[in-house]
Amino acid sequence: MRNRIRVLRAEHDMTQEQLAELVGVTRNTIISMEKNKYCPSLKLAYRIARLFGVGIDDVFTYEEEIDGPSGDDE
Amino acid sequence: MKRITYLTCSLIVACMVAAMVGWSMAAGNFLIPVVAIPLGIIVILACRAQVDIVMADERENRIRSKAALRTLEVVVIGGAIAAIILYSFVVSIPLTPIITGKLFLNDDGTQSMTIAEYKPGSVPGPQTLVRSNTIKNLNAMNETEAMTYCTYVREGFSENENRGLAGTVIGCGLAALLATFGVFYLYYNRKY
Repeated sequence: MRNRIRVLRAEHDMTQEQLAELVGVTRNTIISMEKNKYCPSLKLAYRIARLFGVGIDDVFTYEEEIDGPSGDDE
Repeated sequence: MKRITYLTCSLIVACMVAAMVGWSMAAGNFLIPVVAIPLGIIVILACRAQVDIVMADERENRIRSKAALRTLEVVVIGGAIAAIILYSFVVSIPLTPIITGKLFLNDDGTQSMTIAEYKPGSVPGPQTLVRSNTIKNLNAMNETEAMTYCTYVREGFSENENRGLAGTVIGCGLAALLATFGVFYLYYNRKY
């Protein structure tokens, strides 16, 4: 799963800490997502997309070959 | 309050409560744990309420669940191997230290027996002899001789029996751990 969190964050002039606080996760989770090391749960993905005022497809792009741990089990 | 501060506070409170409970048990005062334990829980909960950053993070939950599962796998596999090795001592080498018994036919037709204890893992011989005892008439041994015989037998078996007991305890502990895992697995399986 690829994402545009870093770009959207820059567009909204937001720090990782601020984004983490607004979506209710730790900064480490944001860092891992931006590095494409962690796939967020659907709940978190929707939260991030809504925060930036875009659709989920505009933030996340599914790619088969990238396989990180998923948070979907929450 | 930062999360690390909360964890430090919790650790300190837990240590203090444990020390107070330990001291009260030694002193025979059973009122202190009744007060100290709930007080400790209240302090920890109060600290938790002051934490200003997120407590339950989905990535952290995921990491913890993976780490817990790997720990369970390692403990179960390692524990099972240790339990089998320890229990095999009881089955394969029943006597440690080496104890031998030799029967002799006396001139008057009675039988005598010499019980000897040798150093563990050694070849029985005069150099490795730890102690020995002779029962003059095996068919008419007195109480002292019977007790000596029993002591030798008990000591011969005790070391490996202790190992076997340790193996059994580890095995039962693993079974309890797996049962607990199974119960939680079924619970969450029904929940989600």
